[in-house]
Amino acid sequence: MDGWWRRDPFFIRYMAREATAPFVAAYAIVLLVGIVSLARGADAYEEWLEALASTGWIVAHAILVAIFAYHTYTWFQIMPKTMPPVVVRGRRLAPEVITFAGIAAAVLASLALWILVAYGAP
Amino acid sequence: MADTRKIVLEVLRYTPGQSTAPTLQQYPIEFTDDMSVLQGLQQVKDFVDGSLTFRWSCRMAICGSCGMMIDGAPKLACRAFLRDFLPGPLRVEPLEHFPIERDLVVDISDFVDKLGRITPWIEPREPRSLEQGEYLQTPAQLERFESFSHCINCMLCYAACPQYGLDSRFLGPAATALLHRYNSDSRDGAQAKRMELVNSEEGVWACTAVGYCSEVCPKAVDPANAVNQNKTASAVSWFARFLPGRG
Amino acid sequence: MDTVDVDVVIIGGGGAGLRAAIAAAASDPQLKIALVSKVYPMRSHTVAAEGGSAAVTLAEDSLEHHFNDTVSGGDWLCDQDAVEYFVEHCHEEMVQLEHWGCPWSRREDGRVNVRAFGGMKIERTWFAADLTGFHMLHTLFQTSMKYPSIRRFDEHFCCDLLVHEGSAQGVVVIDIATGEFSMILARAVIIATGGAGRVFRQNTNGGIVTGDGMALAYRRGVPLRDMEFMQYHPTCMPGTGLLFTEACRGEGGILVNRDGYRYLQDYGLGPPDPWPRKKAMELGPRDRLSQAFWHEQRKGRTIDTPHGPAVHLDLRKLGEKLLRERLPQICELARDFLGIDPAQAPIPVRPCVHYTMGGIPTDVNTAAPLPGLYAAGECASSGIHGANRLGSNSLAELCVFGRVAGEQAARFAREAPAPNGVSLRWQAQDARGSAVGLLARPAGGERLATLRDEMALAMEQGGGIYRLEPEMQATCKKIAELTERLPTVNLGDRSQCWNTEWLAAIELGFQLDVAQAMAHSALARRESRGAHQRLDEGLTERDDANYLKHTLASHVRAGPPAIGWSEVVITRSPPGVRAYGAAGESKEAAVG
Ligand SMILES: Cc1cc2nc3c(=O)[nH]c(=O)nc-3n(C[C@H](O)[C@H](O)[C@H](O)COP(=O)(O)OP(=O)(O)OC[C@H]3O[C@@H](n4cnc5c(N)ncnc54)[C@H](O)[C@@H]3O)c2cc1C
Ligand code: SF4
Ligand code: FES
Repeated sequence: MDGWWRRDPFFIRYMAREATAPFVAAYAIVLLVGIVSLARGADAYEEWLEALASTGWIVAHAILVAIFAYHTYTWFQIMPKTMPPVVVRGRRLAPEVITFAGIAAAVLASLALWILVAYGAP
Repeated sequence: MADTRKIVLEVLRYTPGQSTAPTLQQYPIEFTDDMSVLQGLQQVKDFVDGSLTFRWSCRMAICGSCGMMIDGAPKLACRAFLRDFLPGPLRVEPLEHFPIERDLVVDISDFVDKLGRITPWIEPREPRSLEQGEYLQTPAQLERFESFSHCINCMLCYAACPQYGLDSRFLGPAATALLHRYNSDSRDGAQAKRMELVNSEEGVWACTAVGYCSEVCPKAVDPANAVNQNKTASAVSWFARFLPGRG
Repeated sequence: MDTVDVDVVIIGGGGAGLRAAIAAAASDPQLKIALVSKVYPMRSHTVAAEGGSAAVTLAEDSLEHHFNDTVSGGDWLCDQDAVEYFVEHCHEEMVQLEHWGCPWSRREDGRVNVRAFGGMKIERTWFAADLTGFHMLHTLFQTSMKYPSIRRFDEHFCCDLLVHEGSAQGVVVIDIATGEFSMILARAVIIATGGAGRVFRQNTNGGIVTGDGMALAYRRGVPLRDMEFMQYHPTCMPGTGLLFTEACRGEGGILVNRDGYRYLQDYGLGPPDPWPRKKAMELGPRDRLSQAFWHEQRKGRTIDTPHGPAVHLDLRKLGEKLLRERLPQICELARDFLGIDPAQAPIPVRPCVHYTMGGIPTDVNTAAPLPGLYAAGECASSGIHGANRLGSNSLAELCVFGRVAGEQAARFAREAPAPNGVSLRWQAQDARGSAVGLLARPAGGERLATLRDEMALAMEQGGGIYRLEPEMQATCKKIAELTERLPTVNLGDRSQCWNTEWLAAIELGFQLDVAQAMAHSALARRESRGAHQRLDEGLTERDDANYLKHTLASHVRAGPPAIGWSEVVITRSPPGVRAYGAAGESKEAAVG
């Protein structure tokens, strides 16, 4: 079974999806640090924001966005396989519809958040 | 007769006791556009090499005999067409993750044993005599399990499941799909018994949601869905233990 | 050689064998039961049945109707006591399957739905989409796992029936994976090995349908009954012979020739409208529809395809949605093999060999004329199909007579003496000797496939939809010649492990015996009835005065079979005219 995942492109895509997961977890820690620093006061929070504005972090963010986009895509792709059938007007919803709806929701939520942060904040 | 074309079949050969290791043998064949890979293999067996061994019967993708690795992916030989593999050579191998009995024939007794352990029959929720006639079951109730009952036991999903390849104790896609089929049947009352198997070490938690099993299934059974729905069911039943009033 | 002792051994894990095993196990949990099958049971050819299974269900239907449809469909060659028993028990068997979980298609109110099949007065076909046989087989197989007393011998090939002092006492089996022989001794034996369609060229049958059980019994002195009757199914794929179920027409599909004309109206099956009308046009009986194709071909009104002449099965009227819902498998077959979407274009079809009406003769208790031997399913001639089987009667038969066989064999086994191990061991050694002998032959000789193909072609020529004396004689001669050539075939594979070429050679021996019984029975029946239609002068009509009886072909060592005759059991329906379409309706009106 050694190297089994190289046997088929499907497995390579699966391994890529799994490989993105640690990044998602790691970024959750980054955000957690942000929340903790917010709790510690305005100064700490500003410091955290500043650190994130460094060139290194900006490059990292660019890469992370790509990784997260792939993760989101694959996550919604597998979603229909993990839930009970959704029946709408007597017919089972096709998996593609569920995947599309999921991705669309993710994109909309991201956009809304972005607008809120960029323009909505006082 | 329609036009013929040529392709080379590259078939894995192995006879326990005679061969030391599997080898690949090449068979050039001529084929017409409507010929399946199975028909190609039959042509070789009938007119070139009678010792080439594979299972088949129905020729119409319903008996589940002819699963094999075709061009690296698990497929039914009677439903894969030679025209789709030009220019070749076309590699034909036995299903992954099963012991080879000979050439393209693998030992599937592990699955058949598992099938026997999922309680693959109805234990009536309510007893009913034959004189009382059939149980009522609406099309909507039927729909809840019907697709999971379409499994032809072809084993393609097991060949597609890396977790089964790594540890064959895993109940695996098809057996879980059939378990789910009975658990979702409005006539059945043995859910609790089957859930013990779902929750056990060989149960659904061995699955890491690769999802390839559903991709290769020739009958759109979606075994990955059955496995993952049962993860939810399993988690719910685990948490339910902590609810007051439960044992 | 290993010996296994059981009470009942069942050869065949198809619908009939599994139903028998469950019945035997349920009737007495103490009984030891062996279930032998050369493939895993769920691979048996019952799996391929699409359309459905008959049982009187609707209020406006009656046992009388089912009885009459069956007897007239069989051109009065049915044993009416068997038909009576059969129609009375279909419904409870279908309900039994429902209780075991079979996913029958349902109506909105939750009751089981029924559809119409050819030759049927009122809808009575239970169906599970177009996967009926598949669901029945898997339901039976999975349910059989509930019974620990059923010991399965999966992928074991039965090569001989053991008979001691005039009673069946066991079988010899080969473990396919290892090539090892065992002897299974039993107080009762049930044969449920299915039909023999593969002796013909274009057929709807799976590779395993080689008439083994018929030949096993035949060689041990059991005559085969009504072997001349082979059913041609009118709507099959040219070339491969794959089936497009009769349900295509039950749902409203039509048959047209090269001019787009519904030619069946020219053959006493019309008028074409209103449609669908039961027992008329496309829902006439199979023999009539296949014969009409033959005439159209003669008139040059068929369509040429790379695999020979065809007519069109047009399903376009049904529409995309209904096709996907009711006939999904048909859509898949047409798309994959022919590149056709039935919602957009008609499907080319032709008649191919489909069902073996004859077989091991049994009485209402499924007992064969050899004590201790029972038979059920397509391998048996239970008497319900006569000269032409009615669509969807066969799946029901598997259950009705499968159950009877299981119960009767169990009852017999409780009273029968233990098998005589000593004498049977000699027989078993012999059987092994001749089987292994095939492997020990010196190299050189003909290929197995050559003989097989010659046999299939000869059967098609002399055993077609219409038959002519000189052609039938040529076929008899050819089969005799092939039987002589068989011992000289060259097997390229000399291994004992998974040697399918060797097993195919044994099967070809079985097939040639069965083919011989078919060809000679056909020659002896000098009339036309049901699926046996002769073009010879003076023989084109049914002749009740001389031939209202069953043929019995008895095996003769090194020579053609002896053909004998037996009476047809007639209880309440004297032979009448088989009329369909408008003629049929007016006939029924006249009778009242
Ligand atoms: C394509 C198709 C569609 C059909 N559709 C319908 C339909 O809609 N309605 C209907 O009523 N009928 C239909 N029929 C007919 C019906 O399906 C068959 O008559 C029936 O399924 C036969 O069942 P069986 O149990 O007798 O045999 P099978 O299911 O053929 O089983 C035979 C068993 O015997 C075993 N066997 C054979 N030889 C040996 C040996 N030497 N050693 C060990 N084991 C052996 C095999 O392994 C197998 O398990 C259809 C038939 C075909 C081919
Ligand atoms: S779930 Fe699909 S792939 Fe797996 S055995 Fe069943 S039919 Fe085959
Ligand atoms: S031969 Fe039956 S599934 Fe391919």
